[in-house]
Amino acid sequence: MHIQDCTENTCVDQIQKIFHTAEVEIQRKKRVKVKLRLDLVPLFLSYARDYLNFKHLAHISCVDWIEENEFELIFMLWSYEASLMIMVKTRVNREKPEFITLSHLWPQAETYEREIHEMYGINFKGNERLGEFILEDWEGVPPMRRDFDTIKYSKENFYQRPGREDAQDVRETISKHSGEEVPDFAKEFSIRRIEE
Amino acid sequence: MTYDKNSKKIVDIIQNFARKHSLWILAYGTGCGAIEVPPTMTSRYDGERFGLRGAATPRQADVLLITGYLATKTLKRVIRTYEQMQSPKYVIGFGSCTINGGMYWDSYNTIKALDRYLPVDVYINGCMPRPESVISGFIKLQQLISEGKANGAEKYQKNLEWYRENQKKVIHNWKMPDYNW
Amino acid sequence: MREKETTIYLGPQHPGITGNMMVKLKVAGDTIVKAETHVGYLHRAFEKLMEQRTWTQSFPIVCRICVPEPDPNEENLARAIEEIEGREVPERAKYIRVMVLELARLATYGLWMGGQSGSMGLYTMPQWTIGDRDYILDLFEELTGGRVYHMYIWAGGVRRDLPEGFTDRVLKTLDYLENRLPDYDNLLFNNALFQKRAQGVGIIPKDKAIEWGVVGPPLRGSGIKHDVRIDEPYEVYDKLNFIVPTSDGCDVWSRALVRRQEYEQSISIIRQVIEKMPKGDYYNKIPNPLTWQVPPGEAYVKTESARGEFGYYVVSDGSIKPRRVHVRGPAYVHGVSLLEKILVGANIADVSFIMNSLGTCPPEIER
Repeated sequence: MHIQDCTENTCVDQIQKIFHTAEVEIQRKKRVKVKLRLDLVPLFLSYARDYLNFKHLAHISCVDWIEENEFELIFMLWSYEASLMIMVKTRVNREKPEFITLSHLWPQAETYEREIHEMYGINFKGNERLGEFILEDWEGVPPMRRDFDTIKYSKENFYQRPGREDAQDVRETISKHSGEEVPDFAKEFSIRRIEE
Repeated sequence: MTYDKNSKKIVDIIQNFARKHSLWILAYGTGCGAIEVPPTMTSRYDGERFGLRGAATPRQADVLLITGYLATKTLKRVIRTYEQMQSPKYVIGFGSCTINGGMYWDSYNTIKALDRYLPVDVYINGCMPRPESVISGFIKLQQLISEGKANGAEKYQKNLEWYRENQKKVIHNWKMPDYNW
Repeated sequence: MREKETTIYLGPQHPGITGNMMVKLKVAGDTIVKAETHVGYLHRAFEKLMEQRTWTQSFPIVCRICVPEPDPNEENLARAIEEIEGREVPERAKYIRVMVLELARLATYGLWMGGQSGSMGLYTMPQWTIGDRDYILDLFEELTGGRVYHMYIWAGGVRRDLPEGFTDRVLKTLDYLENRLPDYDNLLFNNALFQKRAQGVGIIPKDKAIEWGVVGPPLRGSGIKHDVRIDEPYEVYDKLNFIVPTSDGCDVWSRALVRRQEYEQSISIIRQVIEKMPKGDYYNKIPNPLTWQVPPGEAYVKTESARGEFGYYVVSDGSIKPRRVHVRGPAYVHGVSLLEKILVGANIADVSFIMNSLGTCPPEIER
């Protein structure tokens, strides 16, 4: 395919021709979304880089879908020639999350992988620098997982200065002190918060 | 040097007078508040009028300006930096997040009350504090110094065990040299 | 004779380092053999906190991701939410947003000029540029109430309309800043000392720039014409006339030149915006912010900030809280993998010089 002609539609056609199992859709202008099986992703990424000319790795992200017991990995590739972005999405099993490293394709992928490894516990095989990156001496659940409760952790581990309790909802405090009435929508919210 | 509340010697008065007019701030931007330090020090607000200026290393510095929240990883470095500083030394807590955690009250990685870990002489509140309030915080510190009340370092020395206990609660892997107090 | 290798820890407490981070250097003599970036000193767990907050409560959080230039973050989150929800933004709000973004860009370049020249010992420049930057912060203060953090751009528009006579004051400040440019030129850009220091230092080769994921002024300093404002126009950038300056030197000097020209371009953009700004609504009201549910969906939006491309990946699962907000700041690549590469072969004295030219900003690496 000639690079200059790469529009959203030709890109979708091209991908579907080669990757039959891929679910491809145009999300909006300049965004093409590709859903792929996990084992096809490295193949697809190197194909997109070398044949479709998506040379720039813009982002690697991860979302924890704890309800479905899966992690979602998202890779964003940008093509400078076509001004187009491909969003590649895949799912990883949450019990034994593993993927292979992309640092041989893009050197900066290493940094993303180190962060995702630390925050979600996904193991990127082949990346030699996995390990402590942002956190220091962290034990227990990787903090960005949904089952990690940051409020509970900070209450247990850090001294909380008293005096914040009555300032939780400023409106309540103001109304208590000055007799001003709390607006209806705020009332609703504070009731719900207490129930939580 | 020890202060006896009842007898304030003339030497102390002279010493404190000299100290309060040359507060050298350690150039360590520990948090986002570091962005308001350059305006304070440069032409518009000109902190040098009050004797404030930057110092490159802990040995030369008098004031440790904690510019905002401290992540536990930074806290370890800050404690070490503070212990390397030579007396007289003062700590200023800068920003709401040093006082009670501010908007990071439920974050798993930041401490919520700085004075549990380091002896704070002056707090400047706000997120972020304006250069005027930074300067006013320093003037407050100068006042305390001239009255002989800015004795955080002594407090730290006296209650070292209590501070250490708190520090070790947060910093799990304590591998630091013990400085000679 | 091969010199013995020594390890030097530059930072986190070091006056030359841009922010709270550390570079571990292996040096032979004065030449760097290996560099390793250590970050995490500013990790506040923003992305976790945003999962605990409502959508509107996320705005005060995102602006703290990048301290020198918070507005692209707010604009990005606002635009991502608008894209997921399909919310229309009034035309006037778009113009105001562009004005705020470009003012922020000018302020950041002021700070950058101070940092870049301060890192080579030219301390007059910070006195000037950071002092001048304060006039822009004054405008922000009048408009938004905050000097540094604004929380001004919201989903659906901007928080409040321009105050009366505000545009006149903006124009006056722009005139002042433009008149200051010859002074800056004489002191910094035409300074033989700066040119000698900057030329041939911190080279990002043109053929590697894209592969290494370089964005923003460093990319344009390597001769590649890419700017999100042109390639994927957001807000009203497609209705404005401006050029994207590039330079072929690939070194610190050409990055400085690019920024110097962009400074002028930003001034011209703000003038055009003020001229073309329509009257009308500035805010498409969102429902009760405490119960506001954004429909399920995802969006990836980009902004060209003063230091490069900001990317926000936002996922909503239909509740009142974001499912995931992942931020990709320009320094994420510049400060870690790129810095480690281009520091090799440089001198120790050039480390903070190169870091400043890349616009390394640790708070957006670890968030």
